[in-house]
Amino acid sequence: MNFTDFDFLVDGEPRKISAESRDGTLVVREAGLVLETEVRRISANEILFRFGGRTARVHLVRDGERTHVAVDGREFVVSEHRPETGRPGEGDERTAEAGLRVKSPMPGKVTLVAVAEGDAVRKNQTLVVVEAMKMENEIKTAIDGVVAKVHVAVGDLVDSEKPLVEIERRSPSP
Amino acid sequence: MFRKILIANRGEIAVRVIRACREMGIGSVAVYSEADAASLHVQLADEAVAIGPAPAAESYLDMKRILAAAQAAGAEAIHPGYGFLAENAAFARLCEKKGVQFIGPNSAALELVGDKVRARQTMDKAGVPIIPGMKSVAASPDEFQAAARDLGYPVMVKASAGGGGKGMRVVGAEAGLAVALESGRREAKSAFGDDSVYLEKCIEEPRHVEVQVLADNRGHTVHLFERECSIQRRHQKILEESPSPALDPALRARMGETAVRAMRAAGYNNAGTVEFLLDRERHFYFLEVNARLQVEHPVTELTTGVDLVRQQILIASDADLSIRQEDLSQRGHAVECRIYAEDPKMNFLPSAGRIAYLREPRGPGIRFDSGIYEGFEVPVYYDPILAKLIVWAEDRESACRRMAAALDDCVILGIHTTAGFLKDVVGHPEFRAGRATTSFIGKYFPSWGAGEGEDERRRLALAAVAYDSLVQRPGRKDIPGRAGNRTIATPWATLGRWRMGGKT
Repeated sequence: MNFTDFDFLVDGEPRKISAESRDGTLVVREAGLVLETEVRRISANEILFRFGGRTARVHLVRDGERTHVAVDGREFVVSEHRPETGRPGEGDERTAEAGLRVKSPMPGKVTLVAVAEGDAVRKNQTLVVVEAMKMENEIKTAIDGVVAKVHVAVGDLVDSEKPLVEIERRSPSP
Repeated sequence: MFRKILIANRGEIAVRVIRACREMGIGSVAVYSEADAASLHVQLADEAVAIGPAPAAESYLDMKRILAAAQAAGAEAIHPGYGFLAENAAFARLCEKKGVQFIGPNSAALELVGDKVRARQTMDKAGVPIIPGMKSVAASPDEFQAAARDLGYPVMVKASAGGGGKGMRVVGAEAGLAVALESGRREAKSAFGDDSVYLEKCIEEPRHVEVQVLADNRGHTVHLFERECSIQRRHQKILEESPSPALDPALRARMGETAVRAMRAAGYNNAGTVEFLLDRERHFYFLEVNARLQVEHPVTELTTGVDLVRQQILIASDADLSIRQEDLSQRGHAVECRIYAEDPKMNFLPSAGRIAYLREPRGPGIRFDSGIYEGFEVPVYYDPILAKLIVWAEDRESACRRMAAALDDCVILGIHTTAGFLKDVVGHPEFRAGRATTSFIGKYFPSWGAGEGEDERRRLALAAVAYDSLVQRPGRKDIPGRAGNRTIATPWATLGRWRMGGKT
């Protein structure tokens, strides 16, 4: 057998599986569980599984590093898990200095920047307000520290990839 | 009849109105902001006019620019859709002054029903039951305190200019009154620029039932029965249906007649809706008039067979309303789900971005009113509504089942949507039993997560991505799919068991 290993992140949760596809059959192994299913590609975005007398139709689309998948009316975002580079699309990143790169959880427009570089901040303090679709969302810091860098200004459009603010973990000078 | 209509809106409702224009042989003019140049309504209209930058205040809310666009394009009428300028009396007046027909009520009626306190007074005089409460805005804290004692707690603080739950506060006891008045005032001031508030008796766990009305310019007024809209999240409707499971024929007839009386009292013309609260003892109270076409109008269209947008246009062109009350009846049951660009797993955070894949649900009795297409970039500036999924079936239970299946078949990938959440709402036993009140979502869905069968769905998602990586994907041109090879998964089906410890 010739299995390929996959190190996935699904909605932020790491999952290791291995899979082999041969003659219209897909075998997937994960931690002692095995799924053997008939598989058929219907189109670039649609895969059909048949197993145990059932049919499951799965829709998927690749979008850069991520694959969006719909199963039975539910959506999942799957990406490759690369721990050393952080998790794409997973919100804040820890930096090498154990600081924090704070990101927006969704694309939107910056309506308020509440901190400046050099400011001391406490955990849960609001850093930036991002508005999307008429809803205001306060973006807060998850750690105590000092604002090392502010990447955005009021009016900027932001996505969920680039950091808004960088926080260094150190106690503010007295 | 008009030769050309400008549609002062965007998204699914603009598309809906453009379709009606096309069917009636009327030219359509879309307007769009810089963020909407590639939007569906711009593609479908006969003409499209750029009206300004992305923020709504500088484009879709800019009365002068929209009127100038209508005049430059030679449009004789403006359809405002819902939201934006739809219930703006100043805009309706400006249209009247410039000789452009506003497709909606006359500005005097619009102004009257837009003022909550005046509307209450008018309805009270016309014998329409109103929620017990103050009939004018009080000045001193003592007056409020006395009024609250008369009404009996709990009471509700409401903004005179209100809407969308802004400025609204429930007060359980006298100790909380002063604080609620002050914060209600502050919110009303920032939302409407008017801080006047008043008190009403708080109706506990009401149902929201509204009646659709059509009235022509000569006072011929009919109602098209009710819509039940009790399923709300943060005072916003998310699922509507018709008929209401709470009404019997006698109550339905009384509410319909009352709605007609209310609209006559307001001097109303064109399409409008009278909203009522229905309490546990099945008393109903006037809530407000929605002086526009409503988001949920399709459930009335599917059960009565009347095209409301077409009727709006006919009435605005000064035609007589040809429908008599005795011609109208309800047939079968319709349910609508509003599909929003929000992430229900993340407390309904807005989810803008590119729609990488779209498959619209279809089948008998399924209607999909949408403003999106595959490849469309959902802008961050406007309401998160993407589409409305509406189903019709012979009875309520069949309609709910059809909705659940259609939600499964509705695939929108690339952004998060509320489709999966709505399927759980439709499947909830309290909803299925027809017992839901406006507290339904808060009570049964304080948050939303995985749910049953999530583990298996997740495994299949991973299996699909693995397969997609292992096997070269074919180009779109050599898609092998023949209809005969496609098997549709049974709705509600859970997937088979995984077997433990295989050979390999």
